[in-house]
Amino acid sequence: MPRTTALECPGCPPLRALTFDALGLVKVVEARGTQGIPTVVDRWGAPDSSQCVLAASIADHKTNPILAVSRKNGQVELLNPLNGDVHVTIKTSETGAVGHIPEDDLVVGLHMFKAERTERMELSSKSMAFLTCTMKGNASLRSIKVKDTLAGFTCSEPSSWNVCTAGKILCSSVDKDESHALFGGKGAEINVWDLHECSKLWTAKSPRRNSLDIFVPTWFTTATFLGRDHRKIVAGTNYHQVRLYDISAQRRPVMSFDFRESPIKAVTEDVDGYAIYLGTGAGDLATFDMRTGKLLGCFRGKCSGSIRSIARHPDHPVIASCGLDSYLRFWDIKTRQLLSAVFLKQHLTSVVFDANFKEEESAGNTGEQLNQLKESDHLEVEDNNDPLPVKRKKSSKNGKRIKRVKSKKSKDRVQDNTDDSSS
Amino acid sequence: MGGKRSKAESEETPLAVADDENPNNKKRKILPSLIKNKEKRSAVHAKLKHDKKIEKKKKAKLRDAAHKRALELGEEPPPKKIPRTIENAREFDETVCKPDDEELFAGNDADEFSSVLKRESTPKILITTCRFNSTRGPAFIEELLSVIPNAHYYKRGTYDLKKIVEYANKKEFTSMIVVHTNRREPDALLIINLPDGPTAHFKLSKLVLRRDIKNHGNPTSHMPELVLNNFTTRLGHRVGRMIQSLFPQDPNFRGRRVVTFHNQRDFIFFRHHRYIFEGKESKKPDPKNKLAKSVKNSKGEKVSQENVIARLQECGPRFTLNGFISRTWTLAAGDFSYDLFGCGVEVHLVKGATLITYIHHLWLLPSESLIELLRHGAWASYTSVLGYPTWSFVRDETE
Repeated sequence: MPRTTALECPGCPPLRALTFDALGLVKVVEARGTQGIPTVVDRWGAPDSSQCVLAASIADHKTNPILAVSRKNGQVELLNPLNGDVHVTIKTSETGAVGHIPEDDLVVGLHMFKAERTERMELSSKSMAFLTCTMKGNASLRSIKVKDTLAGFTCSEPSSWNVCTAGKILCSSVDKDESHALFGGKGAEINVWDLHECSKLWTAKSPRRNSLDIFVPTWFTTATFLGRDHRKIVAGTNYHQVRLYDISAQRRPVMSFDFRESPIKAVTEDVDGYAIYLGTGAGDLATFDMRTGKLLGCFRGKCSGSIRSIARHPDHPVIASCGLDSYLRFWDIKTRQLLSAVFLKQHLTSVVFDANFKEEESAGNTGEQLNQLKESDHLEVEDNNDPLPVKRKKSSKNGKRIKRVKSKKSKDRVQDNTDDSSS
Repeated sequence: MGGKRSKAESEETPLAVADDENPNNKKRKILPSLIKNKEKRSAVHAKLKHDKKIEKKKKAKLRDAAHKRALELGEEPPPKKIPRTIENAREFDETVCKPDDEELFAGNDADEFSSVLKRESTPKILITTCRFNSTRGPAFIEELLSVIPNAHYYKRGTYDLKKIVEYANKKEFTSMIVVHTNRREPDALLIINLPDGPTAHFKLSKLVLRRDIKNHGNPTSHMPELVLNNFTTRLGHRVGRMIQSLFPQDPNFRGRRVVTFHNQRDFIFFRHHRYIFEGKESKKPDPKNKLAKSVKNSKGEKVSQENVIARLQECGPRFTLNGFISRTWTLAAGDFSYDLFGCGVEVHLVKGATLITYIHHLWLLPSESLIELLRHGAWASYTSVLGYPTWSFVRDETE
C-alpha cells in the first residue's frame, strides 16, 4: 500500500552544504530563513563518470576558504567553495597515464588543513597543505604556495610515506589540531601517524579470537578521531562492528559493539567529543554515546540506500547524511527528526558543510566574496589560525534554539553563542 | 460501543424526522445487522441495497441531464469528478525520471549496462539454480531459455556462487540468473550483472508454466521485442535497464514475439506473447467498436481496410516479481556490499509516463500498445495506434 499522505518536514536553519556525487558534480544546497527549505542553488562541473568524487575536504576559513576534491581519474582539485572556480589541479599518480588509473591508486583519503602549516611557510607567500592517501597506502603531504595573484599556485614536492605494507586503505582521518592522522582499511589495522615528523605513532591490534575461536579479519570501512586530542579513535568495520580505541591505554579496542547487520559506512563525531553518528550500508543512521557505548537513538526516516557520508554542522544542531539513495537529508540531532530532504539525482559520495554561510549573504554577494578573496591574498592571514570561526546568527533564531539547549544543560559552546548574540 | 451507537441513533432519529418526513429515511437508521430474525434481516438488507441502487441511478440520471443541458446551451459541461484511488492519492514522487534530464542520460552512459544497451556487446546469459532443484524448477528454466536469447544453462553442482561468478566472468557472460527453488517451487530470482554488479533479488510468485496456459503458443527463436512499463523512478529506471540488458537490443519483427515486464506498484509482471495483425472485414454496424466508427466517419470508404486487429497468443511462462533489493557484487572484496536497498523505495506508477519507451526506440511502440490490449483482454482494435512510424513496417508482413 503506497503512502498517500505527504510527510511534512519542518525545514532547516540557514545553512549551506556541498555534496559530491558519482558523476563528479558538486552541488550546493542552501537553506535560508529560520525554517528554510533547502534547495539546490548551484551545480559545478559536467557529468562525467571518470570525474567521480572519492573524497572531499573543506577548509572553511572566513576569508579564503578552499575545498579539496579527489576524483577517480587520479586528480585532486582545489576549488573555491563559494563559486566553484578551480584554483589548481594536481595529479597524484606517478604513473602519469591520463584516463586509466589502476584501482589501487585511487585517492581515498583527503584532508585539507585548516591551520597554516608554519614550518613549511616561506616569506612573501603563504601555503596551504593537504594530505592524500591512496588505496595502496601511499600517503603524501603536499603544500601549496599561494603567490600574490590568484593563479599563482605552485605545488611543492610532496613528502610521501607508506602507511601500510599489505591490504588496502579505505579510511583516513585527521585529528582536531591537525598533527596526527590515522589510516585503516581492508587488511590494514588502524595506525596513527605524526604528521610533523611523518613517523608512525601507534598501531592497533586485532581483537582476540572469540570463545568459538573465530578470528574476524581486519576490514575497517570508516574511522574518526574522537574529542580534542588524538588519543581516542572510533572505527567502524565491514562486519558491522564499532570499536573504540584508546592510544594511551592499549592496542586492542577498549570497547566494541555491534550495530545492526550491514557494514558501518560512515562515522562522524559530534562537537561535544563523545557522541558519534553512524551510517550503515542498509541506510540506518544512529547516534551513540562513546563513553558508555549506549545507543542514544536512531534517526528514523525513509533512508533507502547505503549512507556514504555524514557531516555535522559546527554551529547548528544539525547533521547531514547522504548516500546511494541520492537524497541529502538534514536531521535535528536533539529530536532526531528529519528536517528536510533534497533529491540530488546521483549517487552521492560525500557531503560537507560550509560553516561560514550567513543568512544575509545572497547570491549576488559571491562576487564581493571573490574580491575579498583577492584582497586576502595580499594580507597576512592571522585569523585563520583559530580552528572554527564563530558564526554570528540572527538573534531571534538564536534565542529560540538556545532555550531548548539550555534546558538540556549542555555545551559551553552554545553558551558562547548566546554571549555573542547578546553583545 | 454498541450502547454508544444506539444512543447516537436515538439522538439522530428525531432530527431526521424533523428534517423531512420521509419514512424511508427513518427506516435507514436501523442497522440490519442489529435485527436478530434472519428473514427480517435479509429483507431489510435487500431493501436497503435496492434503495441505494435507485438513488445511485437517480444521481447518474441527474448528472447526465445536467451534462446534456449544458451541451445544448453551449456551456461548459460540469467537470467530471475524479474518483479518489490509491494511484491518484499517492504522494508525489520527485525521483521520477524526466526525459529532459541530462544528468540522467549522463548517468545512463556511465552505468554498468550501457555497453550492452549501446550494442557494443551482445548479452550472454548464464542461468543456474540453487543447490537443490527439481520438478518445476527445471521446467521453468527450460522456458526461460526459450524466452531469453543466448542464454545457457549450467548445472549448479556444489559450487559457490562466487566461484560461478568468477567462471562466468572468465567466459565473458554479461549477466547471470539464479533460479531459487523452495519446496520444488521456484520462489526467487537473482539477477546478477557481470562483472561488477549490481545484483537484484526478486521474489517470484504466481508462476504459471507454458503447458498450464490454455491455448498457449510456442515461441520461435526470433529475437523478441521487449516492453518495459512504468519503470519510472530512479531506482525503477535502474532495474528496468538491468532487465533490458538481459535481452539483445535488435528485435526481429518477423518473429512477432514480445516479452513484457510491466511494473505496477513494485510488482513486475512478466508475460510472453506472440502477436499477429489480421485485416478483418468489420461488420458495418458495429456499435461496440467506437474507434472503427470514428475512422469510418472521417475517412469514409477506407473502413474495411483500416480495421486491423491485433491478436495475442500467450506463450508463457507467466510470473510476478517483487521486492527487489539490489546491491553491488564486488568480486575483489569477495562479498556483497550494499549499493541500493530498495525495500523502502517504491517504483511509483504514473499513468502514461513511460520513460523506458523513450529510451527504447520507436520500434517498441506497436508492442507498447499491445500492453493496452492486454489490459482490455486479448482482442482489441489496432486502429488506436495508427500513425506510428512502425505501422507500415508491420503491416507489410501481415499482408
